[in-house]
Amino acid sequence: MRCDEKGSLGECSSLLDVAGLVFGYTSDLDILKDVNIEAGGGEFIALMGPNGSGKTTLMRCINKILQIKGGSVVIDGNDVKKLGRGDISKLCTTVPADIPPDFSLTAREFVMLGRSPYVVSWWWESEEDAAIVEKAMWDFGILHYSDRKLHELSSGERARALLAKGVVQRPKLMMVDEPSAHLDIKYKIQVMEMLKGLSRSGLTVIMASHDLNLVTRYCDKVMLLSEGEIISYGRPVDVVTKESIMKVFQIDVKVILDEGVPYIIPNPPSAGEEEFRVEL
Amino acid sequence: MTDGDGAQALPSAPAPEAQAGGSGERWRRRHAKEKLALILGGGALGIALLFVYSLTMGIYPISFSDAMGDIWSIIANLGPSGEMSERVIYHLRMPRSVAVLCVGAGLATAGAAMQALIRNPLVDPYITGVSSGASFMVVLFTIGGFSLGASSLSIPIAAIIGALCAFGLTMLIAEMAGGKAMSYVLSGVIISTGLSAAITLLIYFNSKEYQQIMKWMFGSFADIPWSSTAAIAVGTIIPIAITLCFARKLNVMLLGDEHAKYLGVDTAMLKKGLMVLIAVLAAFCVAYCGVIGFIGLIIPHVCRMVIGGDHRLLIPASAVLGALVLLIADVFCKTAAAPSELPIGAVVAVIGVPFFLFLMMKEGKRYAM
Repeated sequence: MRCDEKGSLGECSSLLDVAGLVFGYTSDLDILKDVNIEAGGGEFIALMGPNGSGKTTLMRCINKILQIKGGSVVIDGNDVKKLGRGDISKLCTTVPADIPPDFSLTAREFVMLGRSPYVVSWWWESEEDAAIVEKAMWDFGILHYSDRKLHELSSGERARALLAKGVVQRPKLMMVDEPSAHLDIKYKIQVMEMLKGLSRSGLTVIMASHDLNLVTRYCDKVMLLSEGEIISYGRPVDVVTKESIMKVFQIDVKVILDEGVPYIIPNPPSAGEEEFRVEL
Repeated sequence: MTDGDGAQALPSAPAPEAQAGGSGERWRRRHAKEKLALILGGGALGIALLFVYSLTMGIYPISFSDAMGDIWSIIANLGPSGEMSERVIYHLRMPRSVAVLCVGAGLATAGAAMQALIRNPLVDPYITGVSSGASFMVVLFTIGGFSLGASSLSIPIAAIIGALCAFGLTMLIAEMAGGKAMSYVLSGVIISTGLSAAITLLIYFNSKEYQQIMKWMFGSFADIPWSSTAAIAVGTIIPIAITLCFARKLNVMLLGDEHAKYLGVDTAMLKKGLMVLIAVLAAFCVAYCGVIGFIGLIIPHVCRMVIGGDHRLLIPASAVLGALVLLIADVFCKTAAAPSELPIGAVVAVIGVPFFLFLMMKEGKRYAM
């Protein structure tokens, strides 16, 4: 469903509406070609695709870091094209995979930066900001690290600090770029649980990920992106199939259904094909 | 979960107001404000005491209490009376100490802001070619004999023109090379290297002006008149005040350009604007008293080690500490080998390096940046 021009929440059932999005760094080469996405409030959506397929570019187009060539991005009834940087930051945020921890901020000071779009006073944040930050740090289990420097936290703790910073920004849409890339399986699951919980609280979460099996287990919808085009978008069981994975990633896989959730097991190249050999 | 925080990690956990955290948070908030009050209050007291002390130092003997009385009398009468000690303080020592305080605060503020803007710990206020540009023009003016008669303005004007031209060139090259943080560092270093080489060649072929050039390049506050001090004060205090207004934005900019945009801060204009501001600030710092290194690089690091990376504390602390350290160094410069003067840039480094190395070894493991 398309939102009308001045569409408000009442008239628009989808929280994110991307229609006919086209983007390219040069005029003759398009990186993203006619991308259409509809996402409802509180959905947990995975963005999957090979390296270079345009996942990060798409996220940068949605929050207007990159200027799109054609089409439109509407978040919660607001056309992003017409919004300034400050207004966009109140609607959607991006959580990067990691941050260079090379500056002396404490975890609390770092999470507090998420309140930046809302701070009206020119010097200190308000008591309310402090309370929101503390609540988020408590929710993500990092309150007791408040006064620790960011570089003293483990990768898992830093990932949670990043999520807490995204949450205190009070967005409607949170885009998460490979949140589990550096984490071990325990923290991967922890982060997935947290993102799932956030979406159940009403936040729409779009997550770029390469973790096929975690995605099918946790996400409501999966979007398969290949060479700047959406190949398939829908429930994991419909999207993640042997055929689609073979088409997009060019690998041979076996798909097993476990309680309705697809599991992907890669098949090694068959015996007839040429093996990888190096003279040592 | 074995680390014990998994249970409270779920978003459905009860509100923290029920926990002890609520008041603890308020305490920490007050703590940051207390820290700022301590920095400003302690800094003001320290600067005031050291300022009066600096007025007592010199060939003409003036006691601490006399100096206080003289300052009061000067303020009350809006100028010095006929008394010798008041005239010495007003015409010789006060302009010098005020200039030292302004330059010290200016260099340290510029360093702290520049390190955040470029996101590089090795950056100092001169990274954008300011010092070498200023030096180059001063050398050129001195050698070329463009001394504009006996005007005391020729050297500072040459320095400011040189500083801003070199800065403009650095920015232009950095923008052409992609405008990344590292582009600014690289083009600044290259411009500085080129200009330094040009200075060497100029001096090599004009060795009779060597002494005069070196006096400026080593840095000195000797015999500075009120007119110069007033220019330094205006040229440093205004940029410091503007930088302070952007202290919170500097925290966001630490995260990098794209991440700052996620938080609603459009970095491109802000970064350029602040860099121009820092260049002007640094240009005024070098214009009258020469290139003083170390303060701009090290003072922000010392403050960051002690009070952390929040620029709302870091910038005031850097300004205060920079002013104090440079004033101590200047008192040493004029008294240690009286009646001759020591070059302040070198003295600052000689005093500061061992102290910084000590702090680095003690705090280095816990310190990032």
